[in-house]
Amino acid sequence: MADPHFGLERHDPEGFSLTAAVDSAPPDEPSLPVGEWLRKNLFSSPFNTVLTLVFTVVALAGLRGLLNFAFSEERNWDAVRVNLRLLFTQAYPEDQYIRVWVSVGIVVALSGLSLGLWARLSGVPVARVAMWSMTAGGLIALGVVLREPSAVSGPDGDPMRDAAGEVIRQSFGAAMGDRIWWWLAAAVLFGVGAGLWRGFEDERRRHTYVPTIPLVFGSLGVVVATLWLYRWGHYAFTGNEFVYEPDRTAALSTKLPWTVMWLLLMASWAAGRQGRGTPAEGRLKVLVNLAWLLSPFILFWVVLRDPAIDWAHVWSTDLPMAAGFVIGGGAVLYGLTRPGIGEVGRVIAVGLLAFAGFNWVAAFAGWYPMLQKARFGFLLLALAALLAPNFTGERAQRLRLVWGWAGAMTVVQYLVTMANTESTLNTPTSEFLGGFSVTLFVAVFTLIFSFPLGVLLALGRTSKLPIFRVLSTAYIEAMRGIPLITVLFFFANMLNLFLPQNMELGSVAAVTVGFSLFAAAYLAENVRGGLQAVGRSQYEASDAVGLTTVQRTMFIVLPQGLRVSIPPLVGQVISTFKETSLLAVIGIFDFLFLANRAIPSQSEFLGVKREGLLFVSIVYWIFAFSMSKYSQRLERRLGVGER
Amino acid sequence: MTAADTAGGAAGADTGAHARADMIVCEGVSKWFGDFQALDGITATIAEREVVVVLGPSGSGKSTWIRCINHLEHHQEGRIVVDGVELTNDLRNIEQIRSEVGMVFQQFNLFPHLTVLGNITLAPIWVRKKPRREAEAAARALLERVGIPEQAEKYPGQLSGGQQQRVAIARALAMDPRVMLFDEPTSALDPEMIKEVLDVMKGLARSGMTMMVVTHEMGFAREVADRVVFMEEGQIVETGTPEHFFTSPAEDRTKQFLSQIL
Repeated sequence: MADPHFGLERHDPEGFSLTAAVDSAPPDEPSLPVGEWLRKNLFSSPFNTVLTLVFTVVALAGLRGLLNFAFSEERNWDAVRVNLRLLFTQAYPEDQYIRVWVSVGIVVALSGLSLGLWARLSGVPVARVAMWSMTAGGLIALGVVLREPSAVSGPDGDPMRDAAGEVIRQSFGAAMGDRIWWWLAAAVLFGVGAGLWRGFEDERRRHTYVPTIPLVFGSLGVVVATLWLYRWGHYAFTGNEFVYEPDRTAALSTKLPWTVMWLLLMASWAAGRQGRGTPAEGRLKVLVNLAWLLSPFILFWVVLRDPAIDWAHVWSTDLPMAAGFVIGGGAVLYGLTRPGIGEVGRVIAVGLLAFAGFNWVAAFAGWYPMLQKARFGFLLLALAALLAPNFTGERAQRLRLVWGWAGAMTVVQYLVTMANTESTLNTPTSEFLGGFSVTLFVAVFTLIFSFPLGVLLALGRTSKLPIFRVLSTAYIEAMRGIPLITVLFFFANMLNLFLPQNMELGSVAAVTVGFSLFAAAYLAENVRGGLQAVGRSQYEASDAVGLTTVQRTMFIVLPQGLRVSIPPLVGQVISTFKETSLLAVIGIFDFLFLANRAIPSQSEFLGVKREGLLFVSIVYWIFAFSMSKYSQRLERRLGVGER
Repeated sequence: MTAADTAGGAAGADTGAHARADMIVCEGVSKWFGDFQALDGITATIAEREVVVVLGPSGSGKSTWIRCINHLEHHQEGRIVVDGVELTNDLRNIEQIRSEVGMVFQQFNLFPHLTVLGNITLAPIWVRKKPRREAEAAARALLERVGIPEQAEKYPGQLSGGQQQRVAIARALAMDPRVMLFDEPTSALDPEMIKEVLDVMKGLARSGMTMMVVTHEMGFAREVADRVVFMEEGQIVETGTPEHFFTSPAEDRTKQFLSQIL
């Protein structure tokens, strides 16, 4: 049970102080002196020595190439700096930009609350912090030495060239001298690390923890502080004019929101932490989870899109319909859960399902008009009716289903109404999203839609009923046999030809549908792997206590199977997130498209492409890497692979 | 199932037997796994409140038989009637019988992702439709009865084998079954844990539960069983009171089996 990572929680669940947990930790392995370590691990035989040397040279050459590329005089990083807003939100209207910040703020606040409510107060051992710091200092120093000397700039600021047109560079000594600030940074980082290392004796160094939360919040705080202190350059609209002043700190419209975000993060974290251990904790967690689930819909469809609500239509159609579904549907469900209803209930539920299905057939065939919302409503009602037999029993049990229905229906009706209402935003293109926001939109909604579909497909493929098995298998194999880009082209160009009359999807929405259907097939295979890991004995045990097939699936098979499939599922989420860059190929203004096409065609930055691509890669990497790290934590916490 | 019938002894012979209803009736039950015949015309009747221990060498079909009784295995020939309900392929009959027959497995088969309390209350809440509070109170009482009330919030992986098997017994009892089936409940346990499980089973037998137990614990059979059934190659070879069975068996095969294990 001795797990050094969790020592902090056990010893001092509330405090921030450095905490030692020496007594509960296993004894350290004696560490080798540096010379011996090198001999043992890098130079143990002549062949290994050669390998070590060759790959050291390769690594150094690679680093040198990267540094020369990134810091070259020919790089025009202004292309990225000036276009930051374009890259993330494309042409979102300037006067409405507060909506973007509100959205980011809601996500930040939810993150803070979740951290406060769920995350353990873990810590990083001092030894590791010291190593990080020293490594960072060492790498900076290495980079300073490796990078070729800077070009000598001529009187006009451009690099001077010799007769052959080659750039004239400083001498090595002069270049090293010019990089004094980098040296200083390296020295400070290394010094801090070494100081920490020396400050603790061997045993305590490993078992003294720097709490993670202050470490992370502090680092973010330093980054935010540089916005106020360091001269990143002032690139922003002031009034209606784009101000471009490289020698000032970041514009107020940049640094103020980020400072607010930083404070918001800490405040919401503290709030979440306060909620911990109180009687309301359980309810709070449910609320936060619900907020996370709803936030993509609310943020993209309501906050960012700003629908122009037509109140006359709301009063005449939307509200009556919502009320009808909430009350009428609730009454139907209450009736269906009457204890003695038996077969009649199943017949009614199947009848409802047939009716709901027929509505869709009619929609495609154009037999009679009906609001799309009503079709969805009937379909959901039929599904709830099929679930009803699980909720028969006493009043409280029955009312639970009715209340769940009422809540879900209210939300669905509200969101669909909002999505159907025209946007008030005045954007140059038909889509109000662009750049990173469209990447996020597609990735998030693909996840939301493909997950349930993938789980259903996996259940279908492992089902005993041949019709489900054949259909699911056919779908999965068909989708997995088609290249993603083909699916995307199909959905972007042709989906609307197949949809019923009066129903149209914008290109981004259509592509999201394609992405979801494609991702679901792969997700289904991952989930199937997990489902098959659930042993026969679990099925027998559930049967023996009398659970029905649906109950067995919901309470026994899925929870265990999904837990096993978490690692491949997160891998899939990451690859879907990265695959959204294919949107650039089909002409949607996504993150990659802006860097690859839009910026290089601006008159100030004609042909400047590499900087944008490097920046885009870095942003993708940060997101993908964080997700991968998070999944590792999740795996550890859920104890995958151990019982 | 309230008054303890501690008189024990030969249930089949005494006059009280006429008052007892038949709980499980098997007539000519046969089952094949592919070409291999696992059960060959099993005919037996188990009365209410009777404790029957099934003995036999491995591969003799004892586990298959009791797994047929709650339809974890499907018999191809013959009839099985449990508490007046015949086991057919009709799903509703199967569900009804399963909710009246508790089963305890060799490997416990607890649900690893649920707490002990969750394991016990799942079926009462969702199959019996009991309110959660009532189900939890009943579950705690059952844990008290099997001797581990303090483990309610733990996960199965945190318990010893003996404790897990006692949770499994509590889980089966939570459905208020009319019959309990035990499929080698102590075979997967370390020796020092066998006793704690057997003690729980003895208490259960004393309380008047109808039980069918597949086991290799001869001491348990001798002490608790009303009747011992000896099986070999899918057939019932001999049936009798423990006294008769262990001291003067009639069949040669029975004698041979007893000489090997005693």
